[in-house]
Amino acid sequence: MKLVLEDIHKSFGSGDNRTEVLKGISCTVESGSICVLLGPSGSGKSTLLNIIGGIETADSGIVSIGDDIMKDMNEKKLSLYRRRHLGYVFQSYNLVPDLTVKENIEVGAYLSDDPMPIDELLNMLGLWEHRNKMPNQLSGGQQQRTSIGRAIIKRPDILLCDEPTGALDYNTSKEILKLIEDINRTCGNTVVIVTHNDAVKNMADRVIKLRDGQIRSDKLNETKISAADLEW
Amino acid sequence: MKNPLYRRLPRELKKNIGKYLALFLFLTVTIGFCSGFFVAGGSMKQAYEDSFEKYNIEDGHFTLYSEATDELKDALKAEDITISELFYKERTISNERVLRIYKLRNDVNKVDVMSGRLPEKSDEIALDRLFCKNNSLSIGDSINIDGRDVKITGIAALSDYSALYRNNSDFMLDSISFSVALVTDDGFDELGDLDLHYNYAWLDGKTTPENKQAERAEEIQKIISKYGILTDYLPQFLNQAIKFAGNDVGRDRIMVQWLLYIIIAVIGFAAAITTRSTVEQEAAVIGTLRATGFKRTELLRHYIVIPLITAAAAAIVGNILGYTVMKEVAASMYYNSYSFPTLVTVWNADAFLLTTVIPLLLIFVINLFVLGRMLRLPPLQFLRHELKKKKKNRSVKLSFGRFFTRFRLRIIIQNIPAYILLFIGIFVANVMLMFGLALSPMVDNFAQTVIDTKISDYQYILKAPYETKNEAAEKFAITELQNEREESISIYGISENSKYVKKSDLKNGKVLVSDSYRDKYGIKTGDKLKLSEKYRDKTYELEVSGVYSYPGALCVFMDLSDYHTLFEQDDDFYSGYFSNEEITDIDERYIATVITVTELTAGANQLKDSMGMVALFGVFAMALYVLMIFILAKMVTEKNTKSISVLKIIGYSNREIGSLYNYSTGIVVILSMLISIPLQTFIFEKIYYMMMREFNGWITFYIAPWVYPVMIVCGCISFLIAYSLEMRRIKKIPKSEAIKGIE
Repeated sequence: MKLVLEDIHKSFGSGDNRTEVLKGISCTVESGSICVLLGPSGSGKSTLLNIIGGIETADSGIVSIGDDIMKDMNEKKLSLYRRRHLGYVFQSYNLVPDLTVKENIEVGAYLSDDPMPIDELLNMLGLWEHRNKMPNQLSGGQQQRTSIGRAIIKRPDILLCDEPTGALDYNTSKEILKLIEDINRTCGNTVVIVTHNDAVKNMADRVIKLRDGQIRSDKLNETKISAADLEW
Repeated sequence: MKNPLYRRLPRELKKNIGKYLALFLFLTVTIGFCSGFFVAGGSMKQAYEDSFEKYNIEDGHFTLYSEATDELKDALKAEDITISELFYKERTISNERVLRIYKLRNDVNKVDVMSGRLPEKSDEIALDRLFCKNNSLSIGDSINIDGRDVKITGIAALSDYSALYRNNSDFMLDSISFSVALVTDDGFDELGDLDLHYNYAWLDGKTTPENKQAERAEEIQKIISKYGILTDYLPQFLNQAIKFAGNDVGRDRIMVQWLLYIIIAVIGFAAAITTRSTVEQEAAVIGTLRATGFKRTELLRHYIVIPLITAAAAAIVGNILGYTVMKEVAASMYYNSYSFPTLVTVWNADAFLLTTVIPLLLIFVINLFVLGRMLRLPPLQFLRHELKKKKKNRSVKLSFGRFFTRFRLRIIIQNIPAYILLFIGIFVANVMLMFGLALSPMVDNFAQTVIDTKISDYQYILKAPYETKNEAAEKFAITELQNEREESISIYGISENSKYVKKSDLKNGKVLVSDSYRDKYGIKTGDKLKLSEKYRDKTYELEVSGVYSYPGALCVFMDLSDYHTLFEQDDDFYSGYFSNEEITDIDERYIATVITVTELTAGANQLKDSMGMVALFGVFAMALYVLMIFILAKMVTEKNTKSISVLKIIGYSNREIGSLYNYSTGIVVILSMLISIPLQTFIFEKIYYMMMREFNGWITFYIAPWVYPVMIVCGCISFLIAYSLEMRRIKKIPKSEAIKGIE
């Protein structure tokens, strides 16, 4: 589903302490594409992702996913918006500690009327053998796979990934990126990845670079490569 | 699809089984006790109310100087009043026990035989159940009356004596040294004519509304007075022996109800605060779930369900206990005080509402309030662990004391809401503990004070003046009036230059009040008392000029000459003697009552005897103490698991860590106890005064000095129990916890 941002502004603080974090961001992410938001710390990329995710509100501007326009939505409507359209993956996996791998993924399935078959998904995530383990019995990569499973089982239109490999080693990071790529290919959802790892841009269809709250470049990636071939 | 988060619940229960079991058990016992209390009270009240019809209880009784004449019977019959003979004789048996012996009754004031059978032979007797229990008498035992052995064949409850008041004006019922008894007609005749009371019970054919009962009673009294000499007259609505027990059942209900709600609220807050701590620890997970589309209500439901399930399970088990074991316990409290007929349990919808619906609602509302507010925060704040409304910009500066002291203070500051709740819990527990510990010594102290301040060793109340040659005897006059609350007040007329009553504060034409009377009604010097005669519409106004130390009864003292003027008596009128020696030259027929230390302390003894259950308060309070400390200390430890793990890594021993975290709780416990003691003494005094106002008479408020240290020791023992449990938890925290990601 197509994601459109129009003139997004966002500030924090007030008076002399007011800082404008996003200064009129406008862009479009095509349905089924992978978009990487790149930028140094403080560039506003996470804030932008949170605005797309409806967990932060923009001071002005419009976010639309398909026909749904996120503007002046109350908390109830925002919940429904997130429920219907979004899957979230964070750097820290944020799994429910007392639920097994399978149950954690089922937490995501609960939010959908038509979730993906869980056993197939477990196989796809490479977690079948670990399905009955608790999060504290898993490696970081396995935990992130579980959190990705939880995000995608409800077939979200857009998968939002906030530094999904930030806490992982090189090989595991590549595995996770490969998994996201596979999901994008097989499920066809739009993926937005926020990262400060420059190498990740190579797997994207579109790369948006942010600095000081503004888009410095917004380009289609003509030389897209597989996540498996990424190096850094 | 069922919310998969619910699968956490059995695991959460298993993981924190200690906490939930403690909550469950405590709630179960609390609800069980209250349910039992309400069910027993309800059933008892029902049985009591039914007894009026079932046992055909009198509308009143009167005693005549001689047998009722036919004219009197006819006059009453004309007024639709039926009278039945209920003659009695009083006999003193061993240990100064007094039996009021009646013939078997067939028509009025019928009897519930609770075990054994009614007497069939002249040497058989049935006695009151409570008297038998208090005097360890049982069926088959013999008692000696006037040198004759009489065998107990039945244990019974007489419907007109549900409270064993020997005299209607007595401060307390007396089921230890007074009983009613039943014998056959032959057995009654064999007792002889000594001390025969021509007592008649009446049943009024006319239905009189409650507000007209006094008028009606007056009408009847006038008729009786016209045709006979009344020595006692008591309509049912004034009869303590009939009415007191019924009024007392359920009188404590409001207090028990409030106690239940206070405990439930404290437990509810404890559960909510520990759940809140879990929410804080799981903030990032909650943020993620909210970001993925979970609704606030779904998460609220998830976190609220365990406290509710625990409370619901406790309510179910508590109610089962309430209708079975606890009902018996509560009923025994009533049976220890009153001579009620056999109890039949009746379903009590009110008890269900009070002990199930309202506690569950209370726990729901408290959790909703505490967690609902928190879960209203936006998901991003959860993801950032920013769960406080106001961001703390600065930490509190602590520049004094040793490192350990500062560390402990930081823990206290970090957990202020939990420690405030701990203070409240300790406060409630201490009030209960005070009830458990202080009442019995208070009654003992009262009994001792009554002995110490008695006017004389003997007070002889006479039916008619009778001169004595005993030089220790001093004449006085006495009568009974009643105040606006219809409580009996003894009015003493004291001789000038009395050697028994030092009345230096007594001004001419004014009166002194006993200190108990002053305390109960807050009387001050200069106040004007309005007292009236019981069966006549005559009111007296008496001005108070001071207080006389006599806590044993509610009394007014005045000069004998003033007494004569006030009550229009001859100048030489008197109605009793004070004496420190036993007077032996008065004809027994002229003596109405002899008041000795035994009579003065009978009320206190009876009160103490019916107070057995009060000790349970202490046990209950200790349990609440341990529970509160355990739950909140556990929460503090869990909240600081990572820090504790770090301390272990850098070389702190378990003991040192315990001394940091548990001592912080210990400091709060001790401070709470010290702060709450004066406060709870104040509250306890207020509750006590409220309670005592419901009784006839007064017991001076007194807290034995040993109660306070014992309370502190109880608090410390509770803390040590919780401390040892927490030490086990601290020992179990692995060093690896510090390097593990929480989520």
